[in-house]
Amino acid sequence: MINFIDISKTFTMKKQQTNALDHVSLQVRAGDIFGVIGFSGAGKSTLLRMVNGLETPTGGRIEVDGQDINTLSFSELRQVRKRIGMIFQQFNLLNSKTVYDNIAIPLRLNRVGEKEIRARVSELLEFVGLSDKVNAYPNQLSGGQKQRVGIARALATNPSILLCDEATSALDPETTDSILRLLEKINRELKITILIVTHEIHVIQRICNKVAVMEHGRVIEWGSVLDVFSNPQQEITKKFVQTVIADKIPDSIVQKLQGDRRNYKILRLQFLGENVRDNVLYRINKDFDVETNILFASVNELQQTVLGIFVIQVIGESPEIERVMDYIRNQQLSWQEVMI
Amino acid sequence: MMELGVPFSKIVLAAQQTIYMVSISLAIGSVLAMMMAMTLVLTNDNGILKNKYVYTVLNTVINIIRSIPFIILMVFILPLTKEIVGTRVGTTAALVPLVVFIAPYLTRLFENSILEVDKGIVEAAQAMGASYFEIVWYFLLPEAYGSLILSVTIGTIGLIGATAMAGAIGAGGVGDLALTYGYERLNFPLMLFTVIVLIIFVQIIQSFGNYFSSKVRNH
Ligand SMILES: Nc1ncnc2c1ncn2[C@@H]1O[C@H](COP(=O)(O)OP(=O)(O)O)[C@@H](O)[C@H]1O
Ligand SMILES: [Mg+2]
Repeated sequence: MINFIDISKTFTMKKQQTNALDHVSLQVRAGDIFGVIGFSGAGKSTLLRMVNGLETPTGGRIEVDGQDINTLSFSELRQVRKRIGMIFQQFNLLNSKTVYDNIAIPLRLNRVGEKEIRARVSELLEFVGLSDKVNAYPNQLSGGQKQRVGIARALATNPSILLCDEATSALDPETTDSILRLLEKINRELKITILIVTHEIHVIQRICNKVAVMEHGRVIEWGSVLDVFSNPQQEITKKFVQTVIADKIPDSIVQKLQGDRRNYKILRLQFLGENVRDNVLYRINKDFDVETNILFASVNELQQTVLGIFVIQVIGESPEIERVMDYIRNQQLSWQEVMI
Repeated sequence: MMELGVPFSKIVLAAQQTIYMVSISLAIGSVLAMMMAMTLVLTNDNGILKNKYVYTVLNTVINIIRSIPFIILMVFILPLTKEIVGTRVGTTAALVPLVVFIAPYLTRLFENSILEVDKGIVEAAQAMGASYFEIVWYFLLPEAYGSLILSVTIGTIGLIGATAMAGAIGAGGVGDLALTYGYERLNFPLMLFTVIVLIIFVQIIQSFGNYFSSKVRNH
């Protein structure tokens, strides 16, 4: 649906060059909620703005529905833009216009009749849950409400793609959650592909099925959220993931372990899906002559799948611990030995 | 009106001349200024139609005209005035220098008003597939509206000041009345009267401007 092919972008300002994007390749498929995460300045916004031609690459090309965006004439590009909605961190609503007129603007640009506009606007307001604010001005709305208006405006022309640039970064956590639920509903009910860039990992965790991690203009890791979160490869990815999926043994427990004179190994087990976990832990305790201690456990939901992380201390004779490890190796789970 | 030493009809005529000069030159000047201001905003370094040459030329021309005092400007462009209205003197002849004077002034004021509009608005407009004209018409102008009203207000007041000097080419008006009768014939009451009338005029215009502007802005 959206195909970034070896995209580079160099900004030249006052003889100084910035490589905002450095050979970025990504594929967004129809139906995805694709998240791009990275720190400020990583090039996320620049990447997003390529999709509707607000930014043009200095290298590579970008295809939307098989169409190379940068070979289009200006009027063709404008037609493509009408099929791509966009929402912003600062909402970018017209303060001089009511909610109604803000949402009506893209329809007026399309020469839609006033009667039809009225019907469409009330339908959209219903969808985003703001029917009672039709005559309000943006300054009378909360941040979350403003973003809902922004979303309604972006959906007015029935786009097939919605671009979100830090759409929840100006909102408090609760409002963020309600906006994320709305985006999820848009993806599910209206079958709109969503590309979202953010520096907040929990946005990715909450709604995305795919994620790309950006640093210094490069995509350093990308794939399904489940894969990347359960098995992050790059340092920065690990850092991001750790803030929402804890897997560190608490310090007090580490201290206690250092005084533990028994023979033991510490294993980090990672389970996808609930049943496997119960079974494995049960088997270890039942079938082997070892004592197990759970040092740390966390259970997270990702894409309707449960990701469980367990750090266990296995105490016993060395040969028996080896047998436990052999058993674990044969299970469908990823694991590693932890040194402290 | 005996104590003012001038027939009342003369005062009325002077007022009419001032209103005529201000309103016509304001109308023409505003249209020209809006076109120039929009050109400046669209072609500047961050503009969506960035064009160094157009911007630099227009910007320089405006700076040059803005640096000439009105009274000198008026005399300087007499040949142009003659070319356009067929005469160098009179109320209508004064319109030419007044427009040349006020258009660059309003351009600067309008330019600032339009620059106040958040860049994000233009970005949203572009993302919607708006044409350049639509960006101006549906986004920039409505968003700058409140601020533009204030700019017109300030421009109008500046224009009233300029019309007082237009008497130098026989344009008449309230300012001229004060100068010829009040200053040259030492008619202090008349001078005082015109000063008070001008103060009231300016106050009313400023109040209207503030009122409408805040009405638009305080949504
Ligand atoms: N119009 C521009 N002119 C010059 N440099 C820019 C421009 N836009 C972005 N940059 C630079 O490109 C880099 C990436 O910016 P951006 O895509 O906005 O990052 P992010 O959205 O991840 O914070 C930054 O170093 C930024 O300063
Ligand atoms: Mg950004």
